[in-house]
Amino acid sequence: MRSTAALKQQSGKRRIKYTTLLLFVLVIMVIIMTPEITPQDANKLIIGNRLLGPSSEHLLGTDHLGRDLLSRMIAGVRTTVGTSLLILSISMVIGVTLGLLTGFLGGLYDRMFKRIVDAFMTLPDYIFAIVLSGLLGPGFLNLLFAVIAVKWVGYARLVRSTVLQEKEKDYIKLAELAGVPALRIVKKHLLPRVMGNVFVLAALDLGKIILIIASLSYLGLGPQPPTAEWGSMLNEGRVYFNTAPHLMLAPGIAIMITVLIANICGDRLRDKLDVRMKKGA
Amino acid sequence: MLSIHNLIVDSSRDKLVRGISLELQAGGWLALAGESGSGKSLTAASIGGLLSKELKQSGIISWQGTDLADLSPSRKRQFLGKEISYIFQDYQGAFTPFMTIGKQLDEQLLTHTALNRTQRRVLSIEALVNVSLSGERVYGSYPSELSGGQLQRAAIASALILNPALMIADEPTTALDSLTAHKVLTYISKARARRDMSVLWITHDLRHVRRYADHVAIMLKGEIVEQGAVDQVLNAPAHSYTQQLIAAIPPLSPHVPRRLGLPEGVHET
Repeated sequence: MRSTAALKQQSGKRRIKYTTLLLFVLVIMVIIMTPEITPQDANKLIIGNRLLGPSSEHLLGTDHLGRDLLSRMIAGVRTTVGTSLLILSISMVIGVTLGLLTGFLGGLYDRMFKRIVDAFMTLPDYIFAIVLSGLLGPGFLNLLFAVIAVKWVGYARLVRSTVLQEKEKDYIKLAELAGVPALRIVKKHLLPRVMGNVFVLAALDLGKIILIIASLSYLGLGPQPPTAEWGSMLNEGRVYFNTAPHLMLAPGIAIMITVLIANICGDRLRDKLDVRMKKGA
Repeated sequence: MLSIHNLIVDSSRDKLVRGISLELQAGGWLALAGESGSGKSLTAASIGGLLSKELKQSGIISWQGTDLADLSPSRKRQFLGKEISYIFQDYQGAFTPFMTIGKQLDEQLLTHTALNRTQRRVLSIEALVNVSLSGERVYGSYPSELSGGQLQRAAIASALILNPALMIADEPTTALDSLTAHKVLTYISKARARRDMSVLWITHDLRHVRRYADHVAIMLKGEIVEQGAVDQVLNAPAHSYTQQLIAAIPPLSPHVPRRLGLPEGVHET
């Protein structure tokens, strides 16, 4: 018999699970439907309306240039979270492809690749991304490039090590013996095997990437004004923190909650997919 | 048919196979027996070029008079896929875990034949039925949904599907119970009779050797110490190691006294 306390704890856990899942779906829907649900033009300046508090017309008030804060927050979902998802997918594609090919082909390619990856791994994510985007100059594309340059390595390393393990197994040897072309072996036999791990890593990475992007934008290295982005909104609101704290609170809380959702979803996915964790439990 | 001449497998530290020579006739069944670490599996792996990159292989392996080393990589792949097939001990690893058995059989046929989708499906299911598996069901199953015996039989179906001229079976029954092992060996035996296929069989079980093989070679520390017809080698072993191996076979009846001593270095516990 399970105690009521344990049952309560379990139902609480389940509630967290469904709430986060719901919120995640909500975030994705906001990204898809941004233009439809933004109440007002996020970039429309009405200087007379500057720094208004929350009202029925402007639910979250207005910023220092009189723009509707709620609209900018919603538009910011697309820039901040949308960009993070874009960066995540591109890093995954690059990392998985390189990891699969070098791991499977081995030899000189693999040795060269390993050195490159090792070199990247010695650099701390954040600092390297900041230095890189600082060197490239501010801008959306440069931000994209800087974060991808930092993030693809993790995927490549994970995939390569899985492939190195798998390719010694009989089924790969048999497929090779049977004359199945190398590209087909990689695509059909190895790719599905590595994708589980890759998705877990990606889910855990999403929160980090959102934070990196927000930090870089806060420093002014990301998308340039008037684009609405949570990190740069934080920076814009900084000057008015005493008179209009909502300008910093709204994006700050939004970043916190999104990163939290991403991390909880990542944890859940890892529990579901990672066999080693299951064995331990 | 298959002839191995002076095969040497070298690791950086030691010679693992020390110049062995073997002949396997068309339709013959040659058992390669010996204790673990004697180089049996390395010999089998070197035929298909399956040795890991750290090991160096020298000597001549020829198939119907053609030295395998002379073939171009693409010819060799074609040849290995179609003429020679392998079965390994670890049936769990014989199939890609997230592809159905049918898909994997289909892939082999796709690579080596010009059959269309329906023909390939029919042929795959027939191959499964030939090893007494319920064809349709196993065709659509993932490896994890089958038992060990079923998987090993499916592996045999996969090894036989292209009508190979030589099957290399590396301890195919070691991980199976004796009844299932018997069935598996019977399928190989039937297929051999039907297609005039040669079998190179790695085993350490001399009881099975007596029953299925017609020639046997005994390996010890990378060398062949004795080879010949099964009856001759097992009934009148010339080498002391062969005698020890035969003596180590556990008797089935408790009333039969153990006449010969245990092999050297093995102590009664």
